[in-house]
Amino acid sequence: MHIIDVHTHPVFFKQGRKPADIRQLIADGRRLGIVHMIVLGDVLLYGAQPNAAQLRLLNDENARLAREHPDYFTAFVYLNPLLGERATMSEAERCAAQPGFRGIKLEIANNAAHPCMRHVAKAALAFNLVVLQHSWSTTNIKDRKHQSDPVDTALFARRHPEVKIIMAHLTGVGFRGVLEVKDLPNVHVDTSGGYPEEGLIEYAVEHLGADRVLYGSDLPIRENSVTIGRILGADLPAATKQKLLYGNSARLLNLKLN
Amino acid sequence: MLIDTNVNLGPWPFAPLPELNASQLTARLAAAGIRRALVSSLSAVFQTDPMPANAALFAAVRRTPALLPVPVINPALANWREQLERCRAAAPIRAIKLYPNYHNYRLTARRLDDFMTAIAQAGLKLIVNVRLEDERHRYFALKIKGVPVADIARFLRSFPEHHLLLTGIYRHELKQLAADHKNFSADISFCEWVQTVKDLLTAMPARRLMLGTNTPLHSTRAQSDKLRLAQIPARAKALIGTENARRFFKL
Repeated sequence: MHIIDVHTHPVFFKQGRKPADIRQLIADGRRLGIVHMIVLGDVLLYGAQPNAAQLRLLNDENARLAREHPDYFTAFVYLNPLLGERATMSEAERCAAQPGFRGIKLEIANNAAHPCMRHVAKAALAFNLVVLQHSWSTTNIKDRKHQSDPVDTALFARRHPEVKIIMAHLTGVGFRGVLEVKDLPNVHVDTSGGYPEEGLIEYAVEHLGADRVLYGSDLPIRENSVTIGRILGADLPAATKQKLLYGNSARLLNLKLN
Repeated sequence: MLIDTNVNLGPWPFAPLPELNASQLTARLAAAGIRRALVSSLSAVFQTDPMPANAALFAAVRRTPALLPVPVINPALANWREQLERCRAAAPIRAIKLYPNYHNYRLTARRLDDFMTAIAQAGLKLIVNVRLEDERHRYFALKIKGVPVADIARFLRSFPEHHLLLTGIYRHELKQLAADHKNFSADISFCEWVQTVKDLLTAMPARRLMLGTNTPLHSTRAQSDKLRLAQIPARAKALIGTENARRFFKL
């Protein structure tokens, strides 16, 4: 079994930066069949809205992981869209010029429906990057300024149908989130976030198809054995599980793994 | 052989979960290596009087020895002694379960003094369910929150001679309570972090942790893999997966 984890934070609040920690992380991952991880960065270290200098530090760390372990890590460039077009484009260009970057990571700087997201779309298209948008239902979390409800992520996708988007956190967006993006073929959903609630994986595959659901863990907040077990235990054909665990991410991110 | 201390039977109104009968539930658990389970009725959670649901549970598992029924008692009702006696008469039970947040009482309520005495006299173990679901994802009109940690702490202080099992407790809540209290065990169904069980063992000894999957609300396979694949000593794994529950519930 080969697995790509599309949603990880190997360094989290500065924990896990040491070479020995990274080697252990890779060994633990390989033990479970994870052959590759997407590094999204230490995204909450500087709060919701990091400045340009802080973003560079965080992205340099992602670059370091991808450079030192190119066979195991692919990086996304972390952006704060509120910094404006120039900052967004320059940081995306700086990172995209380095080996190992394939996407843009957006956290909670702004809502995905904010007008500043047009700069993100521009950067994604200019540098051929996939956009992974943190998303969570705001039904019970009353913070629409920072949190992107699946309605907001869907609006971003509808405004920019040519941009490839990963709506993060299947458990967080829930059944409603799946339906919000059902008719948006440019949106994939990753399975990260939350406890292994029963039935959601099957529901996502039923409505989005087997090709638009990607395995993600949200490591270290979540545990790989649990998040993988949730897919292995789902009531789905083996071939579909293999797509979720590996094939879909490899195709979307154009990963050529040995 | 794993023993699961946190399993539910019956319908859940907020998600399209398969409604498993006793033999289907047993098969699902067995596929994850679980051979025995303590099972309560989900219907009892949403009904003021849990006794009809308890009766249905007893009937449903009567011919399924792998499923040990754990009736739900509502001590906020005037007839809690009658509830207790009827359950004891209906089946050879080992424990009873409380859902304070669903049955609208607090663990700090004075009425629990007599209740705890009765539990001890009956030789029963007590399970307190802290939560059934992540509050962030609950149905929009359902405003029920987890049992407050402060209430659990006060309860543990009030009844130092009792050792109870907490199910559905978050990792940070467990660590908070473990720092000051030794008279409780906990299931691992709502604890998660990288290397979850190894991490929990830094706060609590293995002899006080038990496998709990929260089936069918949570994925049985995912929850059992949390323990099965944990990088901890085999002895600790055996305690958490089997031996603690066997000892605690006298199985």
